Amino acid sequence: MAILVTQQTKVLVQGITGKEGSKTTLQMKNYGTKVLAGVTPSKGGQEVHGVPVYNTIKEAMDNHPSINTSFIAVPNFAALGAIEEAIEASIPLINVLTEHIPIQDSAKAIAMAKKAGVKIVGPSSIGIISPGIGKVGSIGGDDPRGVFSKGNVGIISKSGGMASEVAWILTKNGIGQSTVIGIGGDILIGSTFADLMEEFEKDEQTKAVVIFGEIGGTYEEEAAELIRGKGKGSLREARERGKFTKPVVAFISGLFAETLPQGTKLGHAGAIVYGEKGSYKSKINALKEAGVALAKTPDEIPNLLK
Amino acid sequence: MLLYEFEGKLLFKNVGINVPVNRLISELVDQITIKPPLVLKAQVLSGKRAESGGIIRITNNDELITKLKELFGKTINGEKVDKVLVEEMVEYQDEYYLSFSYSTESRGPVLTFGKGGTGAEEKGAKTYPIDLAHLRGELELTSGAHLGGVIPEELVDTAQKLWEVFIKYNCELAEINPLVTSKDGKVYALDSKVILDDDADFRREEKFPERNLFGRPPTNAEIEARKIDEGDHRGTAGSVYWDLEGDIAVIAAGGGGSIVNIDALLAYGGKPANYTEHSGNPPREKLKKLTKIVLSRSGLKGCWFVGGTANFTDIYETLMGFVEGLRELNPKPNYPIVIRRGGPRDKEAFEALKEIGEKEGFDFHIFGRETPMTSTAKTMVDLAYGK
Repeated sequence: MAILVTQQTKVLVQGITGKEGSKTTLQMKNYGTKVLAGVTPSKGGQEVHGVPVYNTIKEAMDNHPSINTSFIAVPNFAALGAIEEAIEASIPLINVLTEHIPIQDSAKAIAMAKKAGVKIVGPSSIGIISPGIGKVGSIGGDDPRGVFSKGNVGIISKSGGMASEVAWILTKNGIGQSTVIGIGGDILIGSTFADLMEEFEKDEQTKAVVIFGEIGGTYEEEAAELIRGKGKGSLREARERGKFTKPVVAFISGLFAETLPQGTKLGHAGAIVYGEKGSYKSKINALKEAGVALAKTPDEIPNLLK
Repeated sequence: MLLYEFEGKLLFKNVGINVPVNRLISELVDQITIKPPLVLKAQVLSGKRAESGGIIRITNNDELITKLKELFGKTINGEKVDKVLVEEMVEYQDEYYLSFSYSTESRGPVLTFGKGGTGAEEKGAKTYPIDLAHLRGELELTSGAHLGGVIPEELVDTAQKLWEVFIKYNCELAEINPLVTSKDGKVYALDSKVILDDDADFRREEKFPERNLFGRPPTNAEIEARKIDEGDHRGTAGSVYWDLEGDIAVIAAGGGGSIVNIDALLAYGGKPANYTEHSGNPPREKLKKLTKIVLSRSGLKGCWFVGGTANFTDIYETLMGFVEGLRELNPKPNYPIVIRRGGPRDKEAFEALKEIGEKEGFDFHIFGRETPMTSTAKTMVDLAYGK
């Protein structure tokens, strides 16, 4: 069945007339994803790769009420407004490609989405692909077929490039994927490892999950808590979380960053450590204690899944 | 960007947070109109300034020059002192820690408050999530709903103003430690720690000069590399660039893959000469510029152009940009160049590279997606160090 992107997925592209929006629209269509409409203010009436463009989401929804997923590829200064518009239209899944969104805007968008019960994947997300079914976003580029293959391992990655690289390593070893998700490497993100593991837990197609994590923040620790069934209260809002029962293999990167002065920026915005919190050691220890198999290089992942 | 204390205090003053009377000096001066007792504070970015002798208290004017001289001659955690904040000493009763930052646990802003001084966290400062969905339009923190029961009455006004700094200037962190109440009942921010969100630079009028956390001024390469992306939003190259002490030049791809690879290089005993990354399908000119900057330094023993299996970065374009950069280098690189890449147009790129390497005499070692990315770290180390 896969998660997030299924046969029922019907996509709206916000920023469809831009370079990334237009390119990604074609990619999604070529992979068999149903892209019903696009939005760019004041460009209504045009077409992009055969997809009608509207000025507002409201107009798009009036004409295509079955839209259930929005893909956002607008410039960073316009991203909060675009996300707000999608939330107001009650689109249940919003995938945000845009990078370098101010953290304050991300915080506002995440708070709004939570209140409205809408799921955001991103910002800085490479996208979501359910091999053989469809994809939302840039993941896999023009031709995902060689790299991604259908199967029963879910991948959740902070890095877009590593989402592809890990999928390729699995495919090369004859292991297919149910759904591969780039959650983005920002400090604040709409969907965490734990959020998506909850979806994978319910998904019958998925038999195991690979997570690609990095130093910084507490999302890897949160995943470890979910696996240990200790999600309640201690992290995030105090809501009862189930336990994650499927095998998990993890790879954590960023040891290098800890050789630099604390607070030095590199890679993803979220890959930043102050004090002990979010350090490589903290993540490795938390995952180890939760019984997660840890890969020392990405190429060890297939063996750890067997 | 991490601000110096004096810069953070300017932002504090802008919103009306009380700071002691002070003056920033960058050379020895004998005319200080602020009356002793005074505090001389070295303006450096590293923490633990007090423990390293960066803060000197003086009680009479006779000591001023000698102590200033002492401070200007100092290097604190590798950073040379070239600015000193001379500040009136405030007699205080209570000290607190107060900050606003973002938490990955609540995925939103948090208020942290507790007893102040060094090691505030260990002293049990507590963190309180702020739900942005419940704030009014201008994101105002009300004394009742948000600060009530957490912040003592006399500090509420300062907390509201610090929140204003945090929101208005798009900070990742706005911290006062210590925040003190003086004997005459006034509230002062004795120190500031502010980290600005670089992604919000476009909406902030206040500009601050380039800096780094390495305790040295930015190198030419760092300054030049960061200019590559200016005014050109097609992918990124060089926006993150740090010169390091090693001898293997690294041109890595992807915000995540770059770190995976450099982790591997270090694990195999390689010493990176720099850290930089490119991603999001940058045009070839950007790679050309970046290549020239990365390889312009002397004493290199190898160059590693490495990345995973790209989603949409055009491998042919980026590698041709790399080649164009190589061609303009003088002297021409004679060290081994290890290339590992995968993604759109990779086969085309490798065929072209093979030919260019043979014709133009570059020592290319080319690997595609069938070769594990991190294993080429070992190849690079072996070739560079002649193992």
